[in-house]
Amino acid sequence: MGVQIAGDRESQEISHAALNPRCSRRQMLKLGGISIIGMSALGATLAEGAAPPLLIMDKATGLVTADPLRCVGCGRCELACTEFNDGKAAPTLSRIKIDRNLSFGPLGELALREGKGNWGNGVIVQDVCKQCPHPVPCADICPENAIVVSPAGNARMVDLQKCTGCKVCLRACPWEMISFDPETRKATKCDLCKGKPKCVEACPAEALSYVGWHDLTGSIPYRVIPTARMLGERAKACHECHMPGQQNTIRQGLAAITGSSRTTSQGIGLNWIDLAGSVLVPAGLAFVAIHAVLRRMSKK
Amino acid sequence: MKRIHLHALPLRLWHWANALIVIILLITGFSVRMTGLPALRPHDPVLVIHTYAGWAMTALYLIWFAYSLASRHIVRNYSLTGLTARKIMHQTRFYLYGIFTGEENPFRASAQDTFNPLQRITYTVLMFLFVPVIILTGLMFADIAILRHYVLLWKIAGIANALHVLVSYIFALFLIAHVYMATLGPTPFSHIRAMIIGYEEVPDNHGEPPAGSPLKTDNTLQGNA
Repeated sequence: MGVQIAGDRESQEISHAALNPRCSRRQMLKLGGISIIGMSALGATLAEGAAPPLLIMDKATGLVTADPLRCVGCGRCELACTEFNDGKAAPTLSRIKIDRNLSFGPLGELALREGKGNWGNGVIVQDVCKQCPHPVPCADICPENAIVVSPAGNARMVDLQKCTGCKVCLRACPWEMISFDPETRKATKCDLCKGKPKCVEACPAEALSYVGWHDLTGSIPYRVIPTARMLGERAKACHECHMPGQQNTIRQGLAAITGSSRTTSQGIGLNWIDLAGSVLVPAGLAFVAIHAVLRRMSKK
Repeated sequence: MKRIHLHALPLRLWHWANALIVIILLITGFSVRMTGLPALRPHDPVLVIHTYAGWAMTALYLIWFAYSLASRHIVRNYSLTGLTARKIMHQTRFYLYGIFTGEENPFRASAQDTFNPLQRITYTVLMFLFVPVIILTGLMFADIAILRHYVLLWKIAGIANALHVLVSYIFALFLIAHVYMATLGPTPFSHIRAMIIGYEEVPDNHGEPPAGSPLKTDNTLQGNA
């Protein structure tokens, strides 16, 4: 959240001092001190191998929704999307995905019998970006903080200046809505075309509409289980608001007892509240048990 | 033997509905606590059940509050003004000592005065401190626009989370004590039966509290739960 801005003022001071032609000895020493602190802070950041995490908390305000029963599978939305955003006709890069659901879907013929649209039962299902609320899987995983909030509709948008084309976001989206452009070596994802989605304008069957945002993430089943996992500083950023789970702590405790060397990356020390709970609740049970036993003995 | 009316029907219904919801909340909450929210999928069934059960508890609390206020249940049974240290000590002494030596419960419950001094303190703190705290901290995570705005603005999500978990452990402790003490009546099931049918059967001679008891009352019955 706020972790990111900390270094900026420092570097500005340095540049101001550096540009100042009259530099006294005191200023020189001060500048030197600041540089050392700045460099060491930079070192600490680099050691983690990732920029301080940028967590998107704002919800999107707009959303493209699709009606599968109206879709004729013409693919004009995909063309309009890539023409506007990439300047070329490349349906594989499209931010709305029709093509991959045209046949029987990823499960093949099997899905014709068992699938429900999304998995290909003859109904053409348009896959659209859900503009996820927090936690935004693609944005949270990006090591460069390159997926940011667009001013139009609060869409989650790839910042092309920051994107390094590492493709980790492709493995983070449960609906596989992010594509990779091999020519520009950047990720592509739906940014709602600055508030005027071109796919909606291009659809001849009125199957697409641009509406106010609502949460689709709970109702549309995952296409894949994401394989990208948050590590290091990024995983810790969650713990600013949410306490870490105790499974890892217990597992680590057991590993320490049995002498096993297996450790997990997310393990963070036992929370004092859980410590109190894990003492007080069994203590309460024990007290009640003793009370019951004493009562029974005293009755005889 | 005579029958004494103890618990009104709406309160009995509320009690058992609330009991079910609290148990669901404790189980799902403990599960979430073990896995950790960051490691859970946003729409994990456990989380969804916990959220709905939380809303149910909120609604039940409001219903309980409205009914209890209107029926003067709160005024009669939740005021701490009449409590003295002597009464509290006497009741505590019974549970920690007298119950083993065969003393009689110094408290006689009635429809007008249902809770013994310890119950009064426990239930008042529970219903007017811990339940509101756990409901409010729960609502902070329930995706309500205005609450969400201030939680993010004041950065109190961490504190709210900690309070929610802390109070849930207190609830677990209460549940253990409550279920055990519900069995401390004349027979193990007499209080539980009273909470279901509303009436409790007591011997005719159970009139005034035993000699030396500071707990005055006008009706007859032992109350523990």
